[in-house]
Amino acid sequence: MTPLIAVDGLVKRYGPHVALAGVSFAVEPGEIVGLLGPNGAGKSTTLGVLATLLAFDAGSVVVGGHALPDAGAAARAVLGLVPQQIAVYPTLSAHENLRYFARVLGLRGEDATRRIADVLDVVGLAPRADEPVLRLSGGMRRRLNLACGIVHDPRVVLLDEPVVGVDPQSRERVFEAIETLARGGAAVLYSTHQMDEAERLCARVVLLDHGRVVASGAPATLVAGAGMTPVVRLRTARPLPTTWLDGIPGTRIADVAGVETAVAVADAASVPAVLAAALATGIDVLDMTLHRPSLADAFFALTGRALRDDDGPGAAP
Amino acid sequence: MLAGLGAAFAKDLRLLARDRVGLVFLTLAPIVVITVAGLSLANLYGATPHGASAPVLPVVDDDGDWIGRAVRERLVDERSVRARTVATPAEASALVRAGAASAALVIPRGTSAAVVAGQPGALELLTDPVRTVDVAWVRALAQEVRHALESAALERAQQELDAARGDADDARARLAAATTELRTRIATLHDRVAAASARAETARRELAGAVAERQAAARTRIVAELAPLRSFLAELAAARAAFDRWAADVRERAGRFADRFPPPPEPPAVPPEVAALAASDPATLAARLVPADGGLPPLPAFPSFEVPAVPSLALPAPPAGRLPGSLAIVETSVTGAPLRFNTFDQNVPGFSVTFLLLGVLLGVSLGLLDERDWGTLERMRATPTPLSVLLIAKLAARFAVGIVQMLLLFVVGWAVFGVSLGPEPWALALPTAGIVFAGTAFGLVVAGTTRSREAVLPIGSIAILTMAAVGGCWWPLDLEPEWMRRAALAFPTTWAMQAYNDLMIRRQTSGAVLQETAVLFAYGALYLAVGLFLFRRVRASRR
Repeated sequence: MTPLIAVDGLVKRYGPHVALAGVSFAVEPGEIVGLLGPNGAGKSTTLGVLATLLAFDAGSVVVGGHALPDAGAAARAVLGLVPQQIAVYPTLSAHENLRYFARVLGLRGEDATRRIADVLDVVGLAPRADEPVLRLSGGMRRRLNLACGIVHDPRVVLLDEPVVGVDPQSRERVFEAIETLARGGAAVLYSTHQMDEAERLCARVVLLDHGRVVASGAPATLVAGAGMTPVVRLRTARPLPTTWLDGIPGTRIADVAGVETAVAVADAASVPAVLAAALATGIDVLDMTLHRPSLADAFFALTGRALRDDDGPGAAP
Repeated sequence: MLAGLGAAFAKDLRLLARDRVGLVFLTLAPIVVITVAGLSLANLYGATPHGASAPVLPVVDDDGDWIGRAVRERLVDERSVRARTVATPAEASALVRAGAASAALVIPRGTSAAVVAGQPGALELLTDPVRTVDVAWVRALAQEVRHALESAALERAQQELDAARGDADDARARLAAATTELRTRIATLHDRVAAASARAETARRELAGAVAERQAAARTRIVAELAPLRSFLAELAAARAAFDRWAADVRERAGRFADRFPPPPEPPAVPPEVAALAASDPATLAARLVPADGGLPPLPAFPSFEVPAVPSLALPAPPAGRLPGSLAIVETSVTGAPLRFNTFDQNVPGFSVTFLLLGVLLGVSLGLLDERDWGTLERMRATPTPLSVLLIAKLAARFAVGIVQMLLLFVVGWAVFGVSLGPEPWALALPTAGIVFAGTAFGLVVAGTTRSREAVLPIGSIAILTMAAVGGCWWPLDLEPEWMRRAALAFPTTWAMQAYNDLMIRRQTSGAVLQETAVLFAYGALYLAVGLFLFRRVRASRR
């Protein structure tokens, strides 16, 4: 299958600063790919290049089968950009915003009317469609922001942290809308630094750091590839004896700090046994949490940086 | 692309329609400012059409005669001042000092009498020189009144002189007629005298003849009548001589006794008159009895006199000189503008252009910055619709709004302030389209040179206010010094105001503003090119 987004060796410089240093990835039709990385990793620059907003210095970029930058106009006809910023007109209604974007995105007449109605339903804004955006909640505006980017049913969808600051209900609606697009055959590139979003939505992720792809693949594969296991954290009334976990297969003490004990387990199925062993010491267990290894952990393991680092050297200007 | 253009155009109109502050700024604000400015600056042009803003002019008529009446009557119809009669110069002076008036006019007592008597008179102005414009206007008005009075007086004097000259001419004609008649009558008298003299001479000759005849007859008769007397006297003398010879002979003969003889009786003596009569020459006697004049008193000689000739009357003609004519100032508007026009004819287009520029320039630049801040501009760049289309749509929307704004303000100016729309009201669309285009394009320049709203407001405001002020939007361009007027040609506002003045004040037709309109569009094209260049440069720098 020909990918709708194909990036190979993409290099983008801002003066002496290299924002993207040979980024390569592809997104197939119907695929939702997460573009992950801390702020400054190059996510927005990558999306900017794909959206034809930014020129690039080297590499090849193909969007919807159109090679950039020469076929930028053709590429723009097939892509839908959902920027991180809520880029709508605040004094216009949701319907007016959608109608405007539908027309500048090439929709006409009945087609536009139908698509506007559809997308309003998808994002759940139909009841508030005629209210000025200023009166909508932040989550509603986020959904409208998404709707404006997908109203023309694009083959390529570029999402730049589309659910920042969105309430869970709105976020789920946004996710559902994105999944609907993907099911329709669109190639979705979802930029975020929220691992849970990527894990929830993306079949595949691309981890960026300092303008480079540090890893890519299915989230579980990446986590597994980083050699990470779930960790059970216990807080007890008194410190546990050193031998309390002996004899429980697939477990090991990962860390002890007074009454706080971290136990690495091979899988979640071992958690009841760990709890039982702790209780068997006669010491009260005050709290217990299970921490599954995440993409963030994997990213940290791979880069030594947290995904929420904001001041990395790769921050785009 | 056209659909995108239409959509962007409609979107910008919707955005403006939702912007209540912007709408107020575009419509109500200029109307308020036009009203305030128009009323404030009205006296620059001689007050508002109805004179409501005219300065108060206290008038003191101490003269109470024809000059006083004439001045007051002249001021009654003057809209550029509101004449108020006050009783005394002191009261008028107090009003000026109190700021209730910038000047007062006093017609001193006896002014009319002095002028009539040929003495100088004066109208007194009591002024507060600080209030330059009002004082200058009142001064000019006083000069105008004085000039009118002088002209009227001169005209009246000329009429009187002409009447006197007419009377003199009549008298001269009458004198000439009388002289002619006198000559005629003298000639007649002369003839009559000559005739009388002739008749008198004839009568004298006839009288002399008659006297001579009578004298001859008298001589004859005297001779005849005196002959017996003379004979008697001769005989008497002879008798007497004979007696005497006898007496002598007696006495001689009586000898010694002769003494004894009584003297002989004396015969009566012949009266000497008789003797003289008898001895007189008959001719003399006749002449004495019948005088040559017939006994009539001597006829005086008919006086010979020359009837004096009536000298020819070389009466000088009345002097042809006229009083010196009054030197009037005849002001003729050669541009078609009325000599006094509605102050709002200047202020409505001027402040409309100012607010138009504020609207379109800030509207375009802030609109683009809003789009940038909202992220819509960036988002639009990822659509199939070219950014240039969006820019054109934004400019077109602002252009349309600017046209409507100007149209609205002109209609309000016409309906409320009575401004003139000129002989071809539609022609106002020419400079309006030009200045709206130039202002809209200049908004793109400002947007291309600024990075934030905080920068747009000072830069845009300075640019607009400078262009408006220097370009004659707030006051007539002629108030500015020459160098600034030349510099003002660099601003589209100058050309727009020239065009509006041509159409609205000078009442010219559309052909008169084609050049200004072309210049405005040229400025607009230049601004558009510069604005697009700057905008693209900014965009390129961000890629």
